[in-house]
Formats: sequence, structure tokens, C-alpha cells
Amino acid sequence: MALLEVRDLHVWFALPSGRELHAVKGVGLDVERGELFGLIGESGCGKTTTVLALMGLLPSSASVAGSVRVDGADVLSGGEKGARAHRWTETAMVFQGSMNAFSPVKTIGWQIAEPMEIHGVASRRAARARAGELLELVGIPAAAARRYPHQFSGGMRQRAAIAMALSCEPKLLLADEPTTALDVMVQAQILELLQRLARELHLTVVLVTHDLPLVAHICDRAAVMYGGEIAEVAAVDALYHESRHPYTRMLFAATPELLGGKDVTSIPGSPPRLDQPIVGCAFRPRCDSAVVRCATDHPALAEVARGHEAACHLNDPATGVLSVPDAGQPAGGAG
Amino acid sequence: MRSGTLDYVVKRVAFALVTIFIVLTFNFVLFRLLPGSAVTDLSRVPNASPALREALAREFGLASSKWDQYLAYLDQLFHGNLGVSYVNQQPVWDNLRTDVANTVPMVALGTVVAVIAGITSGLVSAWRRRTPADYLLTNSAIAFYSFPTQWLGLMLIVLFGSYLPTTGMTTPFQIGGSFWQQAGDELQHMILPSLTIALTLYGQYTLVVRSAVLETLGEDYVLTARAKGVRTRRLLTRHVLRNAMLPIVTLMGLSFGYIVGGALLVETVFTWPGIGLAVYQAVLQRDYPMLQGAFLLLTISVVVFNLLADLLYARLDPRVSG
Ligand SMILES: Nc1ncnc2c1ncn2[C@@H]1O[C@H](COP(=O)(O)OP(=O)(O)OP(=O)(O)O)[C@@H](O)[C@H]1O
Ligand SMILES: [Mg+2]
Repeated sequence: MALLEVRDLHVWFALPSGRELHAVKGVGLDVERGELFGLIGESGCGKTTTVLALMGLLPSSASVAGSVRVDGADVLSGGEKGARAHRWTETAMVFQGSMNAFSPVKTIGWQIAEPMEIHGVASRRAARARAGELLELVGIPAAAARRYPHQFSGGMRQRAAIAMALSCEPKLLLADEPTTALDVMVQAQILELLQRLARELHLTVVLVTHDLPLVAHICDRAAVMYGGEIAEVAAVDALYHESRHPYTRMLFAATPELLGGKDVTSIPGSPPRLDQPIVGCAFRPRCDSAVVRCATDHPALAEVARGHEAACHLNDPATGVLSVPDAGQPAGGAG
Repeated sequence: MRSGTLDYVVKRVAFALVTIFIVLTFNFVLFRLLPGSAVTDLSRVPNASPALREALAREFGLASSKWDQYLAYLDQLFHGNLGVSYVNQQPVWDNLRTDVANTVPMVALGTVVAVIAGITSGLVSAWRRRTPADYLLTNSAIAFYSFPTQWLGLMLIVLFGSYLPTTGMTTPFQIGGSFWQQAGDELQHMILPSLTIALTLYGQYTLVVRSAVLETLGEDYVLTARAKGVRTRRLLTRHVLRNAMLPIVTLMGLSFGYIVGGALLVETVFTWPGIGLAVYQAVLQRDYPMLQGAFLLLTISVVVFNLLADLLYARLDPRVSG
């Protein structure tokens, strides 16, 4: 049994205009214990919405369907109260922009100790002492626990956010673009830290990012999201060398200097609007290998190799074509 | 660690003292520039001779040069002498003392009630935003905030006048009675004027707190706190309100500063014998020493409470004093 099992997850946002925005459309994920799992995709494809849903943290304007199991326990069925029991003790999170994850008026130590106290993991005293140890674990002197967030640099705050996430020894760590606001040197340090902690503490990590080189370097497997759906999921090597979805292939091609070093070719066009229904394949308008069928049939995620799934008609023998990315060009395709 | 704190306190206190001094001087100049004086009024008897005027002017110290008057004014002030009322010939300080003692309990009661109720309802309406509860609280707050105070007072008199006393501070001709009976009587008289003040301020606090809380609710650290498993109650007090309080503390400094100043409109409507009513009457009678004294008191009170608010702010927000 996988540590994290997501089945047919849907999220709709009620917009002020009265319309609905279908941000996550039937996402399924299996993340194994101890795995470093990447979740990749362009801005607005639903990555943050997906991980917030995993903790039941979406705003009240969102409606959620589907099931999320962490270590076998259903997270979403018990409402806010049910979800709260799993927060931080089972699933912890480092937020997108966690530069502001700390309240400006409390000390860093107080904020790291807080979840241990409220979940009864440790007494106030023990929690404070543990906060210092956690800071040392992420490379910050324990004495800094008495300091306030504004006295920390961005990189230190990010480390402290990771320390805070580890405070209740969670099984699953969700990291939503943990390095976006940092400079390149600090980014590398933070990622190294995440990787080391995952290994040493046997943590399962879901790393959300649109930074492909990063995923390729540190993750074991990854899922590529497009327009609220999973387009492809596989081990990162397979994603790069044998991608079975044009979007994945074009995404890697658009990334400079990755592994080999290619020209920058960004993907023309923009992601689909999610507040109106989409017929056929969501990627078709930007796809370089679309066939007639793509305009009408919605491609389902299907296994294309062992541990490798993709949602593209080109993989269907009935379509009569198979995209071979290593050839650099799509192999045929009638349109 | 907070080495900047002492520095900050010294700066704020110095600033407060300078402010008081400037207002002192301004008060003096302002009142000498106004037309008319006590002499003009007192000597408005038929056949007032120039000699009488001169005698009066000398008695009230208005014969010397403005500069000498100013120096004398400062000198007397520092010795705690605010002068003598033109109207009842009593030391201004004695007049003010009685008035302030009458005003403070009434206005303080209204202010404290308004602050507590306003913070609560602002917090609730922000947390339950866009629900019927929010619409009810917000709209009633806007209504109370926008009603003119004297009109609100009159409406309360119309509504509750048959159940509660509407004028003065005590029931006339009721002499004697135990201390508790007297206190109870005064408290009854206090209800309507206090309520008028409370309702007006309540509207203001609800709106200010609501917008401060709404802004805080959108902060990343609030989402983080929820992710940590913090329960709603703790979330709202320790995380949301604790941060949203910062702008509210400044507003509270202002409101509390005006407690001593009294509420001129409310005290006039309810003939509450406080400092607001005294100022109103002093204006009508051109009783400059009385006005000067009252304004001085108000100034000091506003400046002191602002100073307290600043110091409290610095305690609440570690970013201020580093
Ligand atoms: N609270 C909300 N109300 C309405 N729509 C929302 C809300 N949050 C997200 N969305 C919409 O849902 C879609 C997915 O957003 P999401 O933030 O999950 O994307 P993302 O993949 O995390 O993007 P990024 O890389 O920019 O962080 C977007 O179209 C966004 O506009
Ligand atoms: Mg995001």
C-alpha cells in the first residue's frame, strides 16, 4: 500500500461571477514510502490546489470530491475536524512563499513549538528544547529560536519553515515551491537539505515545482500536470528519456541546459482556461503532434509501460501512431 | 536583545512633551487673538466707565503686554495654577476637577463597552464574511457610525425615556440614602449617555476591526497555522487578532484620550455635568481661562494615551523597536 493514495480528486472553485472553475479534474496519485515525488507543471495547472486539498486546507469557496488516504486513513471524510487530526502529525507542509509562513509577532521558537504543544507531542518545555534541536538540524543555531522572523534572512526563514514542518515527525511532507523566492545558491542548499532530511528521516516528500532540472536532479518519480489533470507520471529518467506525452517532451525541450544542453524553445500558446468546459484533449491547441481524434476525445491516463502512465491518444494503438521523443520529431501523425 | 527599546521609549516621551508644549503655546495665542474678553462681557452694564474697565482688566491680568501675559501663563501653569474662571471666580483647576470626575466614569464605561463589543463583532463578521451574520453586523455598524451623535442620543431618550433617567447625574431632591443607593442612582443616570457613546464608537470599532482581521486572514501565516492543526479559537486569538490588534491599538489610544475630554454633544443632550458641558458653557460665556484649562487637559490626555498606545504597539510588534 502506498503511503499517499489519491483517487479521482476534483476541486471546483465558486467564482464571484457565479461561474465554477474546475481546478483539479480527477487527479490520482500513488506515492510510496520514502519516495521523493515531484509534481510539475506550468503556473495555474492546479499544483497548489491539489496539495492544499491533500490537507483539507482549501478555502470555503472550494468544493472537493474524491478520496485522499495517508497511511490508509481517509483525510477528507471527517470535514475540517477530521482533517485537523491528520495535520502536521501525519502530513506537514512547507508553503509556496513560506517567507511569510511565520507570524511577525511571535518568536521562531514559539511557532516551531506550537504544533508539538497543541497535538500533545511534547510538553511546553520539551517542545521549546526540541525547537532548538530542529533548528540545528536545518543548520541554524538553537539560540536563534528566541529571535523574530524579521531578524531572519529569507534562506533562514525557509530552513526554519522546514524545521517547523518536521516538528511532529510527519510521515508525509508536502513542499510547494519551497525555493521560489530565494537566490540560486540558497536554493541549492535548501534542496540539498530536503534531500538529506528525506533520506535520514525516511520522509516521504511531494515536491511541487515548475522547475524541471530540480525535479530531474532530486526526485525519484514525478507527475506532470496540465490543466488540472495528470498528463504523465513515471520515474524521472523515463519522463525525460522516454516521455509518452507531447507536453512532457516539449516541457523538457523548453528547459535550457538540462542534462544535455539544448536550445530554449518555450511552448507557444497558453494553458487552457479552467472556468469553461474543455472538449477533447486540453493540450491540443498547443500540441505539435495532435491528430483528428484529439479535438473530440478526451484522452484517459493509461499505462504505457511498467510504472509509466500517460494521457495521450498517440499511445493508443487505435490511433496508429507512437511518439518517439528520442527521435526529436513526432513519429508521424495524420494532422 | 531589544537594545532599541529604551531608545524608542525616550524618543516617544520627548516627542510627547514637545507636543504638549506647542499646544500650550498655541492655546495661549489662539485665545488672545479672539475678539472680546471677560472685560467686554462683565463691563456691559449701563454706564460702564473706562475706569471700571481698566480696573477689571487689571484684576484679570489683561493690562500687561501679551508677552508678559504669556510668561505669566507659563509660570503659573508650572505651579499648577490654571487661573480663575471669569464666570464663577473659582480656580479653574477646582472647576475642572469636579467636571472630570463626573465625565470619566460615564465616558469610560461607554468606551470600554464599545471597544470590547466592537472587537468581538468585527472579528466575528470577518471570520463569517459574506454570511447573513456578517451583513447584519456590518450594516448595523455602518448605521451606528453614521448617525449623528446628538440624534442617536435623542432617539434613545424617545425610546427609553420612560424607563431611565435622561437628564443630569442624580435624581433631584433625593437627599440622603446610603452610599450604595446613591451609586445605583448615578449608574442609572449614566446608562443612556454611556450607551450613546458606546453605540457610535461600536460602529467605528466593528468596521476597523473587520477590515484589519480580513487582511490578516489572507496572510500566509494564518494558512500555516491552520495547517499546523491550530483550532479556530486559538487561530483567531493567538494568530489573527494578535496581528490585527496592531492598527487597533492606535485607534484605542485615540478613543481613550478623549475620555477626559468628555463628549460635548452627549453631555449637552443629557445635561451631564461633565467637562464637555462645561466647555460648551464656557464658550457661550467667553470664559477663556476655563476653556484654556479644559483644552490643556484634553491635550495632555490625548498625548499621554497616544504615547501609551505607541509604547504598547512597540511591545506588541517586535519589528518596531528591533
Ligand atoms: N481561491 C481560489 N479561487 C478561485 N480560483 C482559484 C483559487 N485558487 C486557485 N484558483 C485557480 O485554480 C487554478 C489552479 O491554481 P493553482 O494555484 O493550484 O495553480 P499552481 O499550479 O499552483 O500555479 P503556480 O505555479 O502559479 O503556483 C488556477 O486557474 C487558479 O486561478
Ligand atoms: Mg502554486
